[in-house]
Amino acid sequence: MTEAYLRFENVTKRFGTVDVVSTTNLSVARGSFVVFLGPSGCGKTTLMRMVGGLDEPTQGRILLDGRQIRKPDRSRGMVFQSYSSFPWATVAQNIAFGMRYRHDIGAADKRERVRTYLDLFGLADFADVYPSRISGGMRQRVAIARTLAAGSEILLMDEPFGALDALTRERLQVELRQIQAREGKTVVFVTHDVEEAVFLADRIILFSKRPATVVADLDINATLGGERPLEIRESQTFFELRNQVLHLIRNVTGYAK
Amino acid sequence: MVEVFVGITAAVLIIGAWELTARAGLIAPQFLPSPSRVMVALWTMLTQQNLLWHVAVSTARVWCAFLIAAAMAIPIGILMSSYRIVGASLEPIVDFIRYLPVPALVPLSIIWFGVGEETKIFLLWLGTFFQLVLLVADDMRRVPQEFVEVARTVGANSRQVMTDVALRSMGPSLMDNLRITLGWCWTYLIIAEIVAADSGIGYVIWAARRFVKTPEVMAGVVVIGLIGLVTDQLLRLLHRRMFRYL
Repeated sequence: MTEAYLRFENVTKRFGTVDVVSTTNLSVARGSFVVFLGPSGCGKTTLMRMVGGLDEPTQGRILLDGRQIRKPDRSRGMVFQSYSSFPWATVAQNIAFGMRYRHDIGAADKRERVRTYLDLFGLADFADVYPSRISGGMRQRVAIARTLAAGSEILLMDEPFGALDALTRERLQVELRQIQAREGKTVVFVTHDVEEAVFLADRIILFSKRPATVVADLDINATLGGERPLEIRESQTFFELRNQVLHLIRNVTGYAK
Repeated sequence: MVEVFVGITAAVLIIGAWELTARAGLIAPQFLPSPSRVMVALWTMLTQQNLLWHVAVSTARVWCAFLIAAAMAIPIGILMSSYRIVGASLEPIVDFIRYLPVPALVPLSIIWFGVGEETKIFLLWLGTFFQLVLLVADDMRRVPQEFVEVARTVGANSRQVMTDVALRSMGPSLMDNLRITLGWCWTYLIIAEIVAADSGIGYVIWAARRFVKTPEVMAGVVVIGLIGLVTDQLLRLLHRRMFRYL
């Protein structure tokens, strides 16, 4: 954690009379893959939405590169659990939408970038197809490609693979790790799935049940290493890490009570 | 194709049964004239009584009121969903007026606007605007929050979120609601034209009734049905053309 790229300073959030996030302090390094793990409804999504600028902290502030986040902008792209690709636009048009409001890129460059992401996500054959004609996994690829095309430095992902079948999910997890490493993006990934968290994360931040507060901060890279081939899931180290995290969830988050 | 065939066959059968019943003389012709007599009446009305002009007048009234209602309902409905204060302040009033039967407001409308075109347009507008505005508000509410948030995080401003995402997203259901509301407009048109008019299909029907010219009354009704059928099919076609992705 050399450089505090994204920083939560005494952040709290309450909706009406409900405390959703209690005092949270946290720093995220540039280019790291951070997973927010915690029981469903614990407030981790709210934390992520505040990074996106879609919700405002009740107290405290969130800084990106030293500047306080106030509104949504292109530097932080969101990928949601539900398939958020636009039904009225083709796959290529959906990806291009990420750049729609960028006037610093010419039309030819935009086309070129759409092509790059179509290839990268294996969507080239579906460029002119509408989302209703493709599978859930492909739609989620479209949503991720759109965010990358927008040039977001941080990807905020809210259980993006939650609605996918197990095999598609695994494949997308591997792809996401590869693309993240390749593009050097910072990822904040919200999930309640322990295996998914361990497989993807450089670092897992474990949250308590609501109101969310950090209960553990685990350096996964230290034990699992930065390379994450699919086979790593079958390794002893992975298995032990998974159990360790599960154990923490049961005993520390207050989930079991 | 099969559906079209079945639809036509069913219509032919019903009309055939009607023709037979009427010809059998079981029912007095001033109550139930045969379809062939209705067609003859329709032909006479078309060729000698300027029916097409009346149709044009009625259609113009419907579209005029409908376009005014739509032009008002779309922005106001969207505002009602986007800003809680607008929704909270308008919804009780809209709901109240929405439940008033249009005929109940005819006397008031005549006091306000006399018996000219304004009264008819007002009555049609009254019958559609208050329904449509709530439908539009509902369409807007159903735009997935994720779509709006995705747009905002790729740098869209409020206006761009509206034009590039919200309107695109609500497009199909908005078109459906417009089509349905246009149908209601015809219902109120007849009421308006029966009460106070010297032109239009409603007037033609009402005038024929006075002399118990049942075939002409029925011909008028048939014309309204045909206009409805044609308009609806055209709008459906437009819908398919506009939203190919569905």
